[in-house]
Amino acid sequence: MAYHFDFNFVPDYAGMLAHGIGYTLGLTLLGGTLGTLIGIGGAISRTWNVRPFAGLYRCYVELFRNTPFLVQLFLIFFGLPSLGIKLTEWQAAILAMVLNLGAYSTEIIRAGLQAIPKGLIEASESLAFTRWQTFFYVMLRPALLKVWPALSSQIVITMLGSSVCSQISAEELTFVANFIQSRNFRAFETYFLTTAIYFALAVIIRQALAAIGRYAIARRPQA
Amino acid sequence: MPLVQTKRLHKFFGKNHVLKGINLDIQEGEVVTIIGRSGSGKSTLLRTLNGLESIDDGTIEVDGTALVAGQGDLRALRQKVGMVFQQFNLFPHLSAGQNVMLAPQVVKGTKKDEAETIARNMLARVGLAEKFDAFPDQLSGGQQQRVAIARALAMSPKVLLCDEITSALDPELVNEVLSVVRQLASEGMTLVMVTHEMRFAREVSDKLVFMYEGRIHESGHPQEMFNNPTTPEFANFIRTQN
Repeated sequence: MAYHFDFNFVPDYAGMLAHGIGYTLGLTLLGGTLGTLIGIGGAISRTWNVRPFAGLYRCYVELFRNTPFLVQLFLIFFGLPSLGIKLTEWQAAILAMVLNLGAYSTEIIRAGLQAIPKGLIEASESLAFTRWQTFFYVMLRPALLKVWPALSSQIVITMLGSSVCSQISAEELTFVANFIQSRNFRAFETYFLTTAIYFALAVIIRQALAAIGRYAIARRPQA
Repeated sequence: MPLVQTKRLHKFFGKNHVLKGINLDIQEGEVVTIIGRSGSGKSTLLRTLNGLESIDDGTIEVDGTALVAGQGDLRALRQKVGMVFQQFNLFPHLSAGQNVMLAPQVVKGTKKDEAETIARNMLARVGLAEKFDAFPDQLSGGQQQRVAIARALAMSPKVLLCDEITSALDPELVNEVLSVVRQLASEGMTLVMVTHEMRFAREVSDKLVFMYEGRIHESGHPQEMFNNPTTPEFANFIRTQN
């Protein structure tokens, strides 16, 4: 049984594909950055038991780690309007990505903070650092460095998961693929290409995150 | 007025009464060594002096800054009291120079180039001028400990606490650290040490404090104490040390 591949449609849809890729990258970049910041906040709150944030974070983390991303997205996009909060597809997709990644990164970064040797904290306390100074100058970088591979994986997982946002018509890569496929009926070629693009994006994002880990977070000789 | 003074210091770990009313005076420029068996409270006493261990009762006063039953300006106290640890505790993500520069910059707001000058001077003082850019894991234990001493000195403390600073070192590296301490002592630095290096303690200390079951059991000039121990517990302790 021979299947004849036909990729002739690609040039016609190049613009749309580029748009979808851009959208997916945008979701990932913004979601990854804000999600990590939320995670840092959550990790601080939970590590130091900062009230009331520690309790709030605890509920939030449990809620988002134990429910499907698609349902979270639907709740935000279709549910919130009932409370008068009406979001565009882009806003809803970003919010869902940020909240989802934030929950996972809270736990990942918390693990990194807990792995900081107590002696380092005592050393900075002895030097009269405040708690915030200790956190910012002594704990944060070693903690992030320790969990960077896990955090990078989670960001890539979230990027791949963003394909679900096509379900609320957010115009990311999978949405574009569905659209193209509905026009040309070339399902195999369209999703083959989409798979290849996701794979390439994942590899590129991983490499980029590894580079950030090496140059921005890891130690480096003084410039 | 002594530089460091503790009055009726009490400390509990749960039900365990580890410090039972410690009264200790340390004069400026004095080198005081606290000795005793493990569990006698010597490390705990040292760690209360910069508030790493809270106290349940009594007062600590260092150069006019007081902690009363644990209440007081801890950060002001800590700026006057440097500490060096058994496990060095250098910041692993920073070079030796950055380790020394960080506290003056962060805590005192020293400008970067000024902090760098201080760091270079302090590293030179401990014989590591050429290691400014080395990271902790590129240094030997003895070198790391000397960087840790430089880091504490960069804050110009009034008194330096040394908590078994040679206990984690290979024997051949002990001397390079002790010679830095010896040099500090000769420059008039006020030092409070906990150590198992008895010979060194006898040699550099102005005052020896023997702790036994949470109390200062015997204290005085090291030579006299070693030659004429007045309590059987201290006599016993000396015997087991050699």
